[in-house]
Amino acid sequence: MATTVDRPRPAAGGEEGRRGATGWFDPRGRRMGGLAFILNRLTGIGLVLYLYLHLVILSMLARGPEAWDQFVDIALSPPFLALDVLLLTGLLIHGLNGIRVGLVGLGFVASRQRAMFIALMVVAALVAIAGALRIFSGE
Amino acid sequence: MTSDTRPVEPPPSRDEGPRSAPPFVGQVVSGAVLIVLLGLHMVAQHFIVPSGLRFYDDVIEWLSNPVMVAIEVAFLVFVTYHALVGVRAILFDFGFGKRTERLITNLLWVVGIVTVVYGVALLAAILNAA
Amino acid sequence: MTAPASEGHRTARFRVLRRKAGDAAPHFDDFDVAVGPDSTVLEALVAIRRDQDPSLTLRHSCFHASCGTCGMRVDGQEGLACVTKVGDASEVTVEPLANLPVVSDLVVAMDPFYDGLEPLGRPLVRSSENIPGALPDGVEAYTRYEDCIECGICLSACPIAGSDPLYVGPAAIAAAWRVVEEPRGREPGPVMRLMDDDQAAWRCHVAWECSEACPSGVDPARAIMQVRRKAAGARARRLFGMGGRS
Repeated sequence: MATTVDRPRPAAGGEEGRRGATGWFDPRGRRMGGLAFILNRLTGIGLVLYLYLHLVILSMLARGPEAWDQFVDIALSPPFLALDVLLLTGLLIHGLNGIRVGLVGLGFVASRQRAMFIALMVVAALVAIAGALRIFSGE
Repeated sequence: MTSDTRPVEPPPSRDEGPRSAPPFVGQVVSGAVLIVLLGLHMVAQHFIVPSGLRFYDDVIEWLSNPVMVAIEVAFLVFVTYHALVGVRAILFDFGFGKRTERLITNLLWVVGIVTVVYGVALLAAILNAA
Repeated sequence: MTAPASEGHRTARFRVLRRKAGDAAPHFDDFDVAVGPDSTVLEALVAIRRDQDPSLTLRHSCFHASCGTCGMRVDGQEGLACVTKVGDASEVTVEPLANLPVVSDLVVAMDPFYDGLEPLGRPLVRSSENIPGALPDGVEAYTRYEDCIECGICLSACPIAGSDPLYVGPAAIAAAWRVVEEPRGREPGPVMRLMDDDQAAWRCHVAWECSEACPSGVDPARAIMQVRRKAAGARARRLFGMGGRS
């Protein structure tokens, strides 16, 4: 005997229940892979913005040595050097985690994805620290 | 109560046309190339060139080397592809639907081509200004 | 609101997210509940409903992680309330599963979950279970995929399911991969073509939250990657003129 069952209606105002795009960056309750996803997405967005900023900055070279040298003076100030360190860190995180995403994402070494992330982020941290020391030492 | 346990064929795929290589594979390939190119870019700039390409004359000398130009142009192409496919992936995570996804893909192709053309034109402008 | 503690028990505070039809926004209600060393979150919630607030709505059935009905978020992480221990916690936050419409309090509508599961794999898996005959050798190695209890926890944990209503979800892809791994006379080609899609296997960003959160050891993230590997391999073979279909 067939019976009809009313499908439950969602509560008003909370119809979707979805976390939305802000949920991508919410670290609460996230495990290691979820934190890796957050880092990859943040660094990726940052690097896209940097790409276009870099192309704009390079246009100063077309204006001759005075414009370029003026920019370099600003770029060698401590706040800018700190941004350079941030850029380097973002590149390392995105690039090295990208190796994990690329391998695991095509079905290779999937069972090792957590260990890979830890190992690669340790490498990223070490290189970032070494890079930061070199950047601030003026070499 | 009886249940129908006859095998059920899945409904037709939403996209029965020829399937292009998923952009993810392109991301992996371009990412691998970028790791190499970026590594070369960083090592050359910060460990080979004495001033780290701070001075205008060093930059011009660097860009006058056709091998360096080829590497930089390749870097630009691959980084633009990787960046914009990444942007595409993020936008697709909103689940807009096939028609909007096609529009996004076409727009990003335009942005990508403009970016690479701008970069190459900028390179030519820099060398002309020197 | 408090329930009396007895010897050997202590009191823990439960912050429970409440929302009824017509509410403009959800809010937290606090309940102090007597808990013992082995108390589970579900036991505490049932005690709240029994002793303090009969209007608290929640789903549960088996009490032993078999039915998948009591999935919810405890302190921000998905799990089955019936096997989530309160432990030493003095305060526990309980919310419904994410990425599914809230019906009332801790009860969510599972329709979007089944909508993703149904066309891809659910009917196929059920059909293959009923095909008569001896099981192929070595099938025991795959039986863990049959462990899916359709609790929806993987969909709640997935960051992409939070923004993309078209994404079929980890459970659907894992269920369909079962058919590819163990066709039992079915043709896996149509199933692979369905999963080899921007809104199926290729939507995943390798967060691995689904597999980490799954209470039943299904490992859907691994299944998604196996689909990708198979689909990418088929494409590579076609590209190099070695034949092969996805």
